[in-house]
Amino acid sequence: MKPYVKLNNDVLQRYRATGDIARHVDEEALQQYLQHEIAPRYRTYTTPVERLNALVEEGYYERDFLMQYTPEFIASLYEQAKGYNFQFETFMSASKFFDSYAMKSRDDAEILEMYEDRYIVLALYLAQGDEQLAKAAIDALFTAYQPATPTTLNSGKQARGELVSCFKLSMDDTMNSIAKNIGYCLELSRLGGGVGVNLTDLRPLGDPIKHIDNRASGVMPVAKLLENSFSYSNQLGQRNGSGVVYLNIFHRDIENFISSKKPNADEKIRLATLSTGVVIPSVFFELMKRDEDIALFSPYDIYREYGKRMSELSITDMYDELLNNDNIRKLKYINARKLYTDIKKAQFESGYPFEIFDDNVNDAHALKGIGRVKMSNLCTEILQYMETSVITDETEENEYGVDVSCNLGSIDIHAATKHAHFEQLVDTSMRLLTAVSTMTTIKNVPSIVKGNHAMHAVGLGAMNLHGHLVANGIRYGSEDAIAFTDVFMEAMNYYSLKSSMRIAKERGETFDQFEKSTYASGEYFEQYINKEMPQLNDAVKQAIGSIPVITADMWQQLKSDVQQHGLFHAYRLAVAPTGSISYIRSCTASIAPITEQVEVRDYADSRTIYPMPFLTAENAHMYEEAYTIDAYKLIDMYAAAQKHVDQGISMTLYVTDQWTTEQLARVYIYAWMKGIKSVYYVRQRLIAIEECVACQV
Amino acid sequence: MSSVAFEAINWNRPTSELAQVFWDQQWKQIWFPEEVAVSKDIKQWQSFEHQDTYKKVFGGLTLLDTLQTNVGMNEISRHVTDLQEKAVLTVFGSFEAIHAKSYSYIFTTLCKNDEIDEVFKWVQENEFLQYKAKKITDIYESIEAGDDASLWKAMFASVMLESFLFYSGFFYPLYLGGQGTLRNSAEVISLILRDESIHGVAIGFFAQQLFAKLPQQKQEELTVWGYELLLDLYQNEMKYTEDVYAGTNVADDVKVYVRYNANKALMNIGLEPMFPEEEVNPIVMNGIANTGSTYDFFSQKGATYAVAKVAPITDATFDFSDKGLK
Repeated sequence: MKPYVKLNNDVLQRYRATGDIARHVDEEALQQYLQHEIAPRYRTYTTPVERLNALVEEGYYERDFLMQYTPEFIASLYEQAKGYNFQFETFMSASKFFDSYAMKSRDDAEILEMYEDRYIVLALYLAQGDEQLAKAAIDALFTAYQPATPTTLNSGKQARGELVSCFKLSMDDTMNSIAKNIGYCLELSRLGGGVGVNLTDLRPLGDPIKHIDNRASGVMPVAKLLENSFSYSNQLGQRNGSGVVYLNIFHRDIENFISSKKPNADEKIRLATLSTGVVIPSVFFELMKRDEDIALFSPYDIYREYGKRMSELSITDMYDELLNNDNIRKLKYINARKLYTDIKKAQFESGYPFEIFDDNVNDAHALKGIGRVKMSNLCTEILQYMETSVITDETEENEYGVDVSCNLGSIDIHAATKHAHFEQLVDTSMRLLTAVSTMTTIKNVPSIVKGNHAMHAVGLGAMNLHGHLVANGIRYGSEDAIAFTDVFMEAMNYYSLKSSMRIAKERGETFDQFEKSTYASGEYFEQYINKEMPQLNDAVKQAIGSIPVITADMWQQLKSDVQQHGLFHAYRLAVAPTGSISYIRSCTASIAPITEQVEVRDYADSRTIYPMPFLTAENAHMYEEAYTIDAYKLIDMYAAAQKHVDQGISMTLYVTDQWTTEQLARVYIYAWMKGIKSVYYVRQRLIAIEECVACQV
Repeated sequence: MSSVAFEAINWNRPTSELAQVFWDQQWKQIWFPEEVAVSKDIKQWQSFEHQDTYKKVFGGLTLLDTLQTNVGMNEISRHVTDLQEKAVLTVFGSFEAIHAKSYSYIFTTLCKNDEIDEVFKWVQENEFLQYKAKKITDIYESIEAGDDASLWKAMFASVMLESFLFYSGFFYPLYLGGQGTLRNSAEVISLILRDESIHGVAIGFFAQQLFAKLPQQKQEELTVWGYELLLDLYQNEMKYTEDVYAGTNVADDVKVYVRYNANKALMNIGLEPMFPEEEVNPIVMNGIANTGSTYDFFSQKGATYAVAKVAPITDATFDFSDKGLK
């Protein structure tokens, strides 16, 4: 047995026995790990430049990006990086980094990168020869900016996966499209991506094919095919492919779709590893409120009648029309409350489906003049418009539509509030994300290439919110916490817009059809230029630190700059769940509350114990765990952030087994009313037998 | 014509304290081995050094769960008089059957047929394993109708099995899983553990109720009998551990863990612990804690989802006046 594993596990044991956070034991585990496990395996060189050259010669690093810089400049970056004096803070951080991110020799015996090595390569690779950007990148990466895993993991390597992690595809109601999209899924999954597929436009089970009734198999068999494709194609066995399928709640196959994740579902429809999400228009909530039945439709009828796919319509706007049009079959009526209870039941039992609140998304959508957002991605934070490709027979040309690839990164909120130049930090982050977008061409999926080229979409997010609040003596979910989140996310929004405007100006290029967006019309800025300055108390001011509070005048100026120069990115912000990547930097995940003060983290290959960042005996009482935080307060936090985020935020809800389906439904309805766009998992903590019986026996 | 009126189980009137609680808790945590992707362990398994020990450990566990399904729960449930407790025990028996099957699921996934046959042959030939099986089975089979003392003995034996004897086997997958080896098989074990810990607590609790009704002299006699049985099983367990874990250098850690669980078993049944407190390997302790570990969405199935409590959505569900919303 490895002594550091035992020491690391000791931390949890002591904490359970005495409530004591034995940081020194974890520190000892860390030191032992670095000394005995890592140091002997690290291959050393006399200088950094010699190291880079040798690793290029051996085919570990790509040559081209390094050739863009002089050896002197590279050496100076190493000096600059050294100045930040990076140290791992926990055993978890170090073991996660060396297990999953550091480059190793092909036989896995030697470690070829320390933390600094990886991040310097990242800066050099993404700056593409721009020395000024490379220097700014070092500053951002070593203070507060963290690119998503695929970018961090793959940049600069010769043998690598893609830099982007996230894709969305729309499937059309034809065999050509189904087959093509399954091929795309195999391809994207091979590259290590998570893929979302919209199934709303497929005709349901029992629909006609070539006008012969009762022939179609519906969406579930397609979902099964997708599931198998993702399992098969798994990035050299490194990570299992993952996917999610979305279906509109008014689709005839919705009932099977909802039951598909339950552990006791029929094997024919059961989805074991594919995730599911339901798209819910506001009219569903209205009908549910009035305790009415909803009609389920077929996209086949809708397309024949209106020439539009089901996902291209607002069901909320069209519902009465659909009900009253005799050419649209009402395939089934089902009580809305009962259906929603079934969804809650499935969420308790499996965590799925995710929910997308269709009208909250599309009402706030800055590109609504261009098209609808039909669905989301694997983590429910990407919300971008799409256009379905028309896949024809082999003898004809396909008409490619717009699909989505999105690359993500996160700002460490705590570090950002201490950064002297927040504007520059956000700008650098945006430029590094932009680099990923421009450097990426998923050549086997033309609709994604087209979408990426037209939209330059990125997703900048944030992490370490809970840690930062606790470090400032603020409770998650409190009024101060909500005020802080509001101000911080507004600043993120402002500076990301400003950066995107500046990049558009420099390049003389905007995203495609910028002129049809609410940015161009100015409508987007209304909420800001008419706002009143918030009155912030001292606690919130202290937490905000060096981040500027944006004024209405600043917004007014930005509005006219944007209208003049345009924006380079159709989409800028999206808050991802940030799992392991935040742990390497000793941050709490995303803007979520912690789930446990001392966390047991199971990965496919290890179990590690992780005391939360900033946790001390003194602040433990206010470092509340997600399961005890009022769910409505949690939603208030996300709603405060969502106002300033053009795409979505991955929001997980936490329940215990004491909850009923009705209580869960109420929380979702509240989220919908508060303008939340999407709900990710429902996570449940089962109250253990010791807890529920011990007090009685 | 019989003069005995048949009585129907009436859950509306609780007849046993906590039967409902145990029932609910057990069903809430229903699971099936097929939900865990044990096949992800295959790659590690192929180069795993102590395959032999691992297979024997699982062989031993299969035997104990088989006993518990076929004899233990059936016999105890047959003689318990309270209808609600009977129902709870029957449910427990079904879960034991799932457990016994889940070891096979792991075997089938990792091993070849002839290897599996070999393990089952080893089970029949291992003297220590057969000894404990016989010891426990004899007690189960000596319950006499209407004799609370013999029923208590069977419950005692059952708690020993579920809270104590299983753990020499549970140790290994937990120990390896905690270090990143064969994690998915370890996840199956942690799901089994989650059930066994209710069974131990529940049967221990029923046994305590029964015990309290016995005359003091009988109680003293049974207490002595209990400690003697435990000591007997303990000595056998030490030999079993030496035998199964030969060549792995974890036998000492296993023994500590066995003593720790022997104490837990005694406490479940309401008796004083017998062994001095020792420090158990923290990796294994972390594997046994029943709260859900944090779920990595790209990895295994989390062990923390359960059956929902359904309540209807009503007009009040939409009333948010308390939150300042219309």
